Amino acid sequence: MGRTLPSATQLMLQEEAALSRFRRALRRSDQLVFDDLFTAAQKHISAAAYAAHALPFETFLMAMLLEERKEVMRLRQMVEALCEMHA
Amino acid sequence: MNQQIVTFPIPKPGKISLVNAPRAVVPSLMNMLAILALRGQVIVIDGGNCFDGYALARALRAETHQVQIALKQVLLSRAFTCYQMVAMLAELPANGTPIVILDMLSTFLDENVHLAQRLRLLDSSLNLVRRISTQSPVAIWTRARSSPTGEDQQLLTPLLEMAHDIWELETPTRPAHQLPLF
Amino acid sequence: MLEFKGWLLDLFEDPREGLVLYFIDSDGSRHRLTRPFPVTFYALGSDAQLRKLWQYLEDRPHEIKLKRTQRMDVFKRQRVTVLGVTVQNPYEVSKIFHQIAAQFPNLEFADADLAISLRFAAETGAFPLAYCHVQADEALHLQDIQILEDAWTLKAAPIPLRIMSLAPDVAPHHARPHYLIVSTGGEEYRFALSAWRPLLVNLRALIARHDPDLLLTDWGDTWLLPQLLEQSEKYHIPLGLNREASRSVCWREERTYFSYGRIVYRGQQIHLFGRCHIDRQNAVLWNDYELDGTIEISRVTALPLQTAARVSPGTGISSIEMHTALREGILVPWQKQQAEMLKPAADLFSADQGGLVYQPRIGVHKNVAEIDFVSLYPAIMVYFNISPETILTNPDADNIVPALGLGIDTSQEGLIPKALRPLLEKRIEFKKHLANTPSWDPFRKNFKRRASALKWLLVTCFGYLGYKNARFGRIEAHQAVTAYGREALLRAKETAEDMGFEVIQLYVDGLWVQHPDKTRPEDIEPLLLEIQERTGLPISLDGIYRWVIFVGSRQNKDRPVANRYFGVFQDGTIKVRGIDARRRDSTPFVSQSQMHLLELLASYDSPEDALPEAIRYLQERLRALRQGEIKLPDLLVRQQLGRKLEAYRTLSPAALAVLQLKAVGKEMRPGQRVPFLFTLGKPGVFAWDLPQKPNPSAIDVARYQRLLLRAAGIVLESWGLDEEKLSEKVLSGATQLQLPVTRQQHPGEHRCNIPGIIHPTVNRSLEGHPY
Repeated sequence: MGRTLPSATQLMLQEEAALSRFRRALRRSDQLVFDDLFTAAQKHISAAAYAAHALPFETFLMAMLLEERKEVMRLRQMVEALCEMHA
Repeated sequence: MNQQIVTFPIPKPGKISLVNAPRAVVPSLMNMLAILALRGQVIVIDGGNCFDGYALARALRAETHQVQIALKQVLLSRAFTCYQMVAMLAELPANGTPIVILDMLSTFLDENVHLAQRLRLLDSSLNLVRRISTQSPVAIWTRARSSPTGEDQQLLTPLLEMAHDIWELETPTRPAHQLPLF
Repeated sequence: MLEFKGWLLDLFEDPREGLVLYFIDSDGSRHRLTRPFPVTFYALGSDAQLRKLWQYLEDRPHEIKLKRTQRMDVFKRQRVTVLGVTVQNPYEVSKIFHQIAAQFPNLEFADADLAISLRFAAETGAFPLAYCHVQADEALHLQDIQILEDAWTLKAAPIPLRIMSLAPDVAPHHARPHYLIVSTGGEEYRFALSAWRPLLVNLRALIARHDPDLLLTDWGDTWLLPQLLEQSEKYHIPLGLNREASRSVCWREERTYFSYGRIVYRGQQIHLFGRCHIDRQNAVLWNDYELDGTIEISRVTALPLQTAARVSPGTGISSIEMHTALREGILVPWQKQQAEMLKPAADLFSADQGGLVYQPRIGVHKNVAEIDFVSLYPAIMVYFNISPETILTNPDADNIVPALGLGIDTSQEGLIPKALRPLLEKRIEFKKHLANTPSWDPFRKNFKRRASALKWLLVTCFGYLGYKNARFGRIEAHQAVTAYGREALLRAKETAEDMGFEVIQLYVDGLWVQHPDKTRPEDIEPLLLEIQERTGLPISLDGIYRWVIFVGSRQNKDRPVANRYFGVFQDGTIKVRGIDARRRDSTPFVSQSQMHLLELLASYDSPEDALPEAIRYLQERLRALRQGEIKLPDLLVRQQLGRKLEAYRTLSPAALAVLQLKAVGKEMRPGQRVPFLFTLGKPGVFAWDLPQKPNPSAIDVARYQRLLLRAAGIVLESWGLDEEKLSEKVLSGATQLQLPVTRQQHPGEHRCNIPGIIHPTVNRSLEGHPY
């Protein structure tokens, strides 16, 4: 008995496709950032699958936020380290 | 996800509605299901492993914030063999709850079962559908294949004869957005 | 009066005697015994329908006995009224049943199409190849049979099988064989296939003299026995392949089918009576578990040896379940009617999922422990009592399946757990024994093969629960198993994190964990105990990797895939998944080279030190390739024909090879593997089984070179030599090797230690390393 619902990976592709008109109208430089967000969300695809949310885009947004937050923390620590070095 | 959504009329008690269309019709069917679910319980029999829960959730989201509650109104059962299809129809209540049967004929195309046996089981299924439809609205989707065989037609004909109203849809050949060529 | 101890070799229905049984006596003699064996199947339906069936059958009293009775219907969870139809001679059952089924299409049937060996085993306890105590009367009618070892005995007494091996000198689909090689009783004979009459006469004499129990052939199903039978008829020299002289051999057609999304091809089969025939080339998993494993399958599934050799693990599991049902008096439905129950669509989202799989972090990880749940899915079925009849729609609070809205009835052991428990326990026993068995122990090989046979059955049993045509399958049970599986894995992850481990990867039933101070097996022990405590499931340490590397997908090497990795355990064992060295379609030249590179890396404390030698090795392999020193069979690719030729839009290399074979009249079917060479010019392939010999100078050296360097790149990339750099180094032919340029550190790669943050994996082990 095969699966009935699409996998989380397929869902993410679908959501990305649903935004293709939005992406198309973005500047090229913004398009690359847009793609980055989805690549970041991909890291949490198994958690998203496990969450099994009926509206998965909400989970994908959360995954993007998570990666953004990590990036902020990483940069903050670098800045602090640099400040310490120069202090 | 730029499929065109067709709005189907809501099935009525005493009536059997039939949609004969390619797979692309599924989102439209999910829209119909969403409208039914907002009114109360609805039963879905999935004979083709094609129930699109996410499309249904999106359709519901357009109408209500309480998607989960509405999703609980939709009762689903999947049939993977024609024997299961008959068994499932035999157990359905005829109490006014609308019934939607998705891809009804797929399980009857199973080459592992003799054609005579499949036709007999289809006949039993249709008798059950007729009985249920006296009390409950019934909508059936049959999947139109790109190159239908004689067997497809043989299985479809009794359904066409049974249905009270029939929708035949074809795949749109035009792409979703097309630039004028100049 | 005859009384002996021995093994049940074969049994089958007979038009006159009912049942014929062949035994190997422990004193060396062979016996043919018979027994009447009435067989019962059941009809289910309304009283009126059953009455009609009664009327239809009641005028055949000497042939059929009828009885209204009650039997357990596992799906209805209660006893139901059935009409028992007992057919006096089992030989007639199939015919009579199909008559009735055609005449009464609205009835349901049960116990209708079961193998005679299952019925015999359920009634007497004696399964094929069981060691038994047997009594018979003067007319050689079986009076009593008692088993002396059950199917779950670990150290079973070895069966003194007399084996005759028959094989052509070459693979017949590849080239025309010239000799038949027969070995039996420690002697070997060669018969020219050009002189059929002497061959037939001699073979007949050998069979008569040695009276083998088992004919072990190569291509016996598809070529050899059909040839022998044809010639034997032509020359009027009967061979006596069957022991049961009154029967002719039984042919079964070739077929192609889908199994778990994979296409499978099975060649035509030839079964014998009173003697077994196994074609090593057509037997399931023969290379994996050989005769020992096949005997194991036969014993635990209660299918005759020659059937057991040819059935898929799914059919094996089905037999075990049906055998258990028969013993327990549970109806075995002919056609399963049970459908999925109506459930809120809201539940489908969490139910319709497989196992939990992480995206691993690509690159090298050191000192990683791999821990696996032992046979996770079977263990869940057995320990959590998951079976079609134990699923509850209205769950009580005690036994609710995580996130599924279903409950499990644990008041009685279900049919599936009952069927699987001994299998699972035997596998675990084998594992324990193997861990303590030294390599010189004569039982070790035997245990390994039998354990492997059990493993295949256990691996399959979960999928079988969800298979639409499985007699005792049920979708809710299937979903409950995966739900428990995800829960177990997550609890294991949480346990590991609570104990300070970092989780590198999760994959369905295993996890890879790392801790800076816990790098010895005894350090992992407390984690294992805690996970067992929190999940209720057995888990074991597979090993601790000195290093393990997760590689990206074949299409995009930056995209992680769950099951593509290789590594070296602390004891030096190499484990490889999903790369060329493990793939069945890769050429021996490439996979052997890749494996050699891995061995090279494993042989050094710091794998970096192996790189100069690795490059020299690759240069040498390429030199050998260019100078035609690699034997052609080592360059063969064996790809599977995925579909019918007509279905290809652009022809794959395998399809092109099949097309070449078709042109010379050799047909291939989907699911078959076609061996071919890559050659220069059009069409770029040369099918190995073409009648003409391949031209060694036409080999597409550049293509093999690419394949080799790509495979080597996968293994060496994490040590700084990806395919591109490797090509440069290897192909420059420079004897004086240059160091790879030390990687410039990208600012973004600066690592800060923030707990829980995933860094892009950077390999820095090479930085400044002077080799």
